[in-house]
Amino acid sequence: MNRKRKLLFTIVRSLVAILIALLVATVLIFISTPGATFRIRIDATFEALREMLAGPVFRFSKKNGMVFEGKRLADIFAAMIPTIFTGLSVCVMFSANQFNLGAEGGIMLGAFVSAMAAIYLPLLAGLHAVVAVLLGGVATALVMLLPALLKAKLDVSEMVCSLMLNYIIMYIIKFLMNFYLADKSRGTIQSFPFRESSAIAPIVNNPVFSGAKLTWGFIIALVAVLVCGLFMYRSRWGYTIRMIGINKDFAKYSGMKVGMIIVLAQLIGGFLAGTGGGIEMLGRYNAFAWNALPGYGWAGITIAILAGNNPYMVPLAAFFMAYLSKGCDLMATYAKVPSQLISIIQVVIFLLFSAEQFLSAYRQKLVVETAQEELALAQAQKEGV
Amino acid sequence: MTCQTEKSPADETFVVQMKGITKIYPNGVAANLEVDFNLRRGEIHALMGENGAGKSTLMKILFGMEQPTGGEIIFNGEKLEITSPTVAINHGIGMVHQHFMLVPSLSVAENIVLGMVPRKSGMFIDRAKAIEITREYAERFNLRVEPESRVMDIPVGMKQKVEILKALVRGAKILIMDEPTAVLTSQETADLFVELRHLKEQGYTIVFISHKLNEIMEITDRLTITRNGRSMGVYNTRDVTKEDISRLMVGRDVVLTVQKEKAVPGNVVLRVRDLKYMNDWGRKMLDGISFDVRRGEILGIAGVEGNGQKELVDMLFNFNVPNTGSVTVNGAGILGMPQQKIRELGVSLVPEDRMLFGIAASASIEENVISDRIGAKRLNNGPLFNMKAIREESDRLIREYAVLCKSRRQHVGMLSGGNIQKVVVAREFSNDPVLILADQPTRGIDVGATEFIHRKLIELSRSGVAVLLVSADLNEVMELSDSLIVMYNGQIAAYFDDTADLTDEIMGSYMLGLKHQTEKEVRRACHE
Repeated sequence: MNRKRKLLFTIVRSLVAILIALLVATVLIFISTPGATFRIRIDATFEALREMLAGPVFRFSKKNGMVFEGKRLADIFAAMIPTIFTGLSVCVMFSANQFNLGAEGGIMLGAFVSAMAAIYLPLLAGLHAVVAVLLGGVATALVMLLPALLKAKLDVSEMVCSLMLNYIIMYIIKFLMNFYLADKSRGTIQSFPFRESSAIAPIVNNPVFSGAKLTWGFIIALVAVLVCGLFMYRSRWGYTIRMIGINKDFAKYSGMKVGMIIVLAQLIGGFLAGTGGGIEMLGRYNAFAWNALPGYGWAGITIAILAGNNPYMVPLAAFFMAYLSKGCDLMATYAKVPSQLISIIQVVIFLLFSAEQFLSAYRQKLVVETAQEELALAQAQKEGV
Repeated sequence: MTCQTEKSPADETFVVQMKGITKIYPNGVAANLEVDFNLRRGEIHALMGENGAGKSTLMKILFGMEQPTGGEIIFNGEKLEITSPTVAINHGIGMVHQHFMLVPSLSVAENIVLGMVPRKSGMFIDRAKAIEITREYAERFNLRVEPESRVMDIPVGMKQKVEILKALVRGAKILIMDEPTAVLTSQETADLFVELRHLKEQGYTIVFISHKLNEIMEITDRLTITRNGRSMGVYNTRDVTKEDISRLMVGRDVVLTVQKEKAVPGNVVLRVRDLKYMNDWGRKMLDGISFDVRRGEILGIAGVEGNGQKELVDMLFNFNVPNTGSVTVNGAGILGMPQQKIRELGVSLVPEDRMLFGIAASASIEENVISDRIGAKRLNNGPLFNMKAIREESDRLIREYAVLCKSRRQHVGMLSGGNIQKVVVAREFSNDPVLILADQPTRGIDVGATEFIHRKLIELSRSGVAVLLVSADLNEVMELSDSLIVMYNGQIAAYFDDTADLTDEIMGSYMLGLKHQTEKEVRRACHE
């Protein structure tokens, strides 16, 4: 298929997927909306849909109609910071065919270690945040050595191992918090406050984003995307990771150090997840108060799959997820749609979007047309000569 | 040479008519374009063509494994949609695959009745009955097999008979045979031909897919030639010559014999001493193998498959470790060494299984040709790749090795077998090797690519590279080798320091274990 047809297919597929998903959502919302008459319920349904689709960037009111809402957009960007990092982390590990699910525990560990560094290390402003975040990344990378080495040396399933590791990390952190590190003067289990010097600066006084809390972390996340993309597609290590993912036997036969690179991929994955946790923690909070896994690691898996393990596509996928999530939150808040339904709608949209075989018959038709055109062209050239 | 025009569709003698068959795969590859293919009842019909010419696809369509994009199939005068192999089998069409589809751990009889197992009291497998069925069919069609042996213990020739019996037991009247002689010795091939003629006399129709011109001339009645997905016509075998066929297949005259200067062997590069290896089932696969390969010579290893060649190559590239013995390359021991270190010594391997080891199918050609040299200074700029250098290198290799592709970014998996092999060879031959291990370098690929790879191998050996050529293709190993080893049952059955006077018969007698040279004669393979 040539480029134009490929693009056409992608666009048509996305549009149809969204259309079907919306249709399903509409039906579901309509069924669950309270209202005495058909008319009221239809209105309520459309109001809910409007909140979901346009709500993340616009505010609606009777008086002013539709108004652009920079804060909501900034919230979406802020929500993308941790998921971009976990998305990248999963991309790198999955590219090597290592189904390490440790990004979830990894981001919590990174956040925890960075938080501790923010509380207990006396450092200069500016340097402090950098050191704290890096410590979080390095600590997580080291912990990821566990499933990685077990896989490389003893062929233990990294999936099972890393999945269990998430809970081990969570409970160790909870244990440390409960017994040693909690600020006892507070009503809830939370750490002492971070030192001022450790804060990550917000992207300042932009009128568009007024009132929103968007830090430089977002820019760092985008830089991480770039570095990750270069690493995966332009360096020999990234190349080796990808080749191992495609065909491990080929990689071994070609003389690549398969075991070492498998470990490396998971180290990098751990570092990215941990860094993301640190940036999220220092950028958004004043004290460490997570007492459960935050869910960013799971989101990272979804994002990596949507992005096809391509780091450059991670911000788009993260944006899509964050937008959808924000829209659904708004719908739940303003449009009286039960929150359980929100999850269902979210999943329906995601499912249709990520289904690879969706509309494959249409794709085949385009392929056949292209092939026939090419053949006709070749024939014509031959006769012309 | 006259191309036949087929008679009217109602003609009784056609058992199968495939009309205007077009097949375009989801990846855009047009495998068949408006191909007509007709079978007369009771004939042996050759289907010929280079790899990627579309003959396998055409037969997969007839057997229901692929669905055509266009065209129709008339079966016994009526239109038939063959939607699955089950439909094909129900209509008496059977296929003998090139790669046997047998369960190695089951007995011959169990394999033959698989999926239609006779039962005792409705529940238990009736083994006696299965053996009886096997015996009955084996006798009727004169296909000798051992019903009670396990498939993994029987020779290749017998496995093929099991495959044929499997189809016949299921009621096949039309047998599609995909390169049936590819793995057989000349004696086994001769046996097969007797059996095929026997089947033909009993009214069976046989489609014979092959590259081997001699066999086509010997066994078939008619032949259909395909090229680039199109049919090049149908001919009576007796009306055409080998040269005609090869011209129709590749559009030029293929040189059937290899021309090379006499080798001037230098120092020993690869030294193998007393390799012994017993596999997991306790079978002695290598039983004291010793030989040398010198600079500038091609040493061939012939033998029926399964006599230790695969195990030998595995040891040489550390995919396995022998029980005893030593292997050195220019004096350095390589047993158990990581592949990277072996490659650093200048050893290249063209692996037997190119899809498993030779390539990463969903990576680009570019990514595939650099896989063994990614650490090279010229391809890197500090931590990043030098994309320009990589681009230039892959474009040069694609050009030099005449890889037919749209661009270096095309996925290797999309190429035809011959072009995939050219990608492998381009990589393995271009990194200044001192020793090339070529394991079945031209298996299943087209004449053009085969000839190209042969020329390159000779060129490299004459420039001072040591070449170890392992091949089941007798023609290849005899034409290319300067000296030759025959392996039988894990041992070296014969060593010939000159291949000029060798005949198929001499080779066959050693390959099948009828003859065995003395220890002293075999020891000549070591140049000490």
